[in-house]
Amino acid sequence: MSPLRRTLVWGIPFVVWVALPFVATRHIVDLFVFAGLYTIAGLGVAFLLGQCGIVSLAQSVFYGIGAYCTAWFCAHKGLPSPVGMAAGIALSTGIAALVGWPVLRLSGHFLALATLALGIIGQVLFLEWDWLTGGTLGIGGIPRIAPFGFAFDTPFRFYFLVWPIAFLLLVLHHNLLHSRNGLALQAMRDSPEAAAVLGVDSHSLKVKIFVLSAALGSAAGSLFAHYVTFVSVDSFAIDRAISFLLLAVLGGVYTVWGPVLGALFITVLPQWLSRLGDIHAFVFAAALIAAVILLPEGFGGAIRNWWRARAAK
Amino acid sequence: MIVGTEKADPLLQVAEVSHRFGGLHVLRGVDFGVPPGSLTGLIGPNGAGKSTLFNIISGFLPPQRGTVRFAGRDITRDPVQTRTRAGLVRTFQTPKVFGKLSVRENLMIGCYRHLVSGVVGNMLRSRRSRVEMELMHAQAAEAGERFGLTSVMERAAGQVTAGMQRLVELARACVSQPRLLMLDEPSSGLNTTEIAQLRELLQRLNREGITILLVSHDMHLVEVASRVHVLCFGSIIASGAMAQIKQDERVRQAYLGV
Repeated sequence: MSPLRRTLVWGIPFVVWVALPFVATRHIVDLFVFAGLYTIAGLGVAFLLGQCGIVSLAQSVFYGIGAYCTAWFCAHKGLPSPVGMAAGIALSTGIAALVGWPVLRLSGHFLALATLALGIIGQVLFLEWDWLTGGTLGIGGIPRIAPFGFAFDTPFRFYFLVWPIAFLLLVLHHNLLHSRNGLALQAMRDSPEAAAVLGVDSHSLKVKIFVLSAALGSAAGSLFAHYVTFVSVDSFAIDRAISFLLLAVLGGVYTVWGPVLGALFITVLPQWLSRLGDIHAFVFAAALIAAVILLPEGFGGAIRNWWRARAAK
Repeated sequence: MIVGTEKADPLLQVAEVSHRFGGLHVLRGVDFGVPPGSLTGLIGPNGAGKSTLFNIISGFLPPQRGTVRFAGRDITRDPVQTRTRAGLVRTFQTPKVFGKLSVRENLMIGCYRHLVSGVVGNMLRSRRSRVEMELMHAQAAEAGERFGLTSVMERAAGQVTAGMQRLVELARACVSQPRLLMLDEPSSGLNTTEIAQLRELLQRLNREGITILLVSHDMHLVEVASRVHVLCFGSIIASGAMAQIKQDERVRQAYLGV
């Protein structure tokens, strides 16, 4: 790729990204903030699915743990934001390691069902342990993230917090993919037996990626709590886990930036279609089915394949 | 002291290994060793139990009786990757390449057992992680040249010919610098010319110091082995040099039915 083309490929999206909150309405910027949060949580799910072949429906639990830890430590205890986020990540990764070690010995639909069970158990506990989570009433009054007195208290400001974090995580994801363990993961996905005879401990590697995925889910949950300043059990139901899985599948699990496209699809498109009135849900569902049928490798995979075909010509 | 023991003892020792699937007795007290530095053959007609024995040695199947010792250590209950880390590396009857990865990446993964960087270090591109990647690239490039794969290095391994895939798998196993390389029917799917090239390649690898255990039903290929064991109906019926084996009455009967 020539330097000019490379500059254009990276420069145009960057300019659009910077300009967007200046020209878009507050509501649209708000949607993009959610797209950023979903990108972070969905990245973990996409990595699990794309590199380990694990269908995870448990991400809503880790998203919830991150959010409740932030609510508990920052709203109830008055501790700073990093403490809440670190506590959420520590608890999520601990649970992921404990649960993942036995559960990740399963495979295929049994494993998917096990993660679904984990998602449902989490949802029930979030509801039942109201002494901790506030149950259906939730926990309010969560402070904004305000380093050095600068509060990320508007969609405009939060947009410039959440997306750099998401981009940083995408870069880390890219680094991992192009490393010893990243290659091992891809090898394990293609042929577990052949990977094992090269010394790859598939189970241990799967657990590590599950833990990593939980950390991403938890971090996204913490940011979510700081953004909306109120959390309740409705935000961490199983449909949220399905959304994370959906965005991973739609965006494409074999490309690093696929989850970004998937997150934009499931957050921005339904709102944009809502101007169609009552039939918008139907149109969205049709678009969803069409995307899954026509783009088996997701948006990211389709763009990558198109780009490669063009380069080959 | 330990080195001396290893030199004296076989690198691989299979002792009294038995296995049955339901009522079918596939292996009956199999006993044989692979001396260090040797090219040992294990032959037998279809259904002799070669693949089962191979799976037991490499850790894919636990034996119901008997032990497998490697470099003086009992590895009978060790998982596959632990055996690999000890230096026991195998290939498969149907080549198992990582189809979505390029040939270069397939070769790079061969180094895996010698590297140590962790997931977090890889994400942060730690110095160790970068050094390891450079090493993996260098080793892959070297293996590509050595095995004649330079023209297909950037192609997806799943899209090269069956013969090439066999070569990729073998090259990848060699990149891992095994102490014992176990080859399961490496000539299946190859034509006569490719088999002749494979023979030369195996002899070259053995001369370079890799101990090889070659499992095949192809008597012609196994002629490269310095010592051959013949497995028939789950038992070793003959052991020795190939010329000797060919004259053995039981072997002739097992292979030719005469």
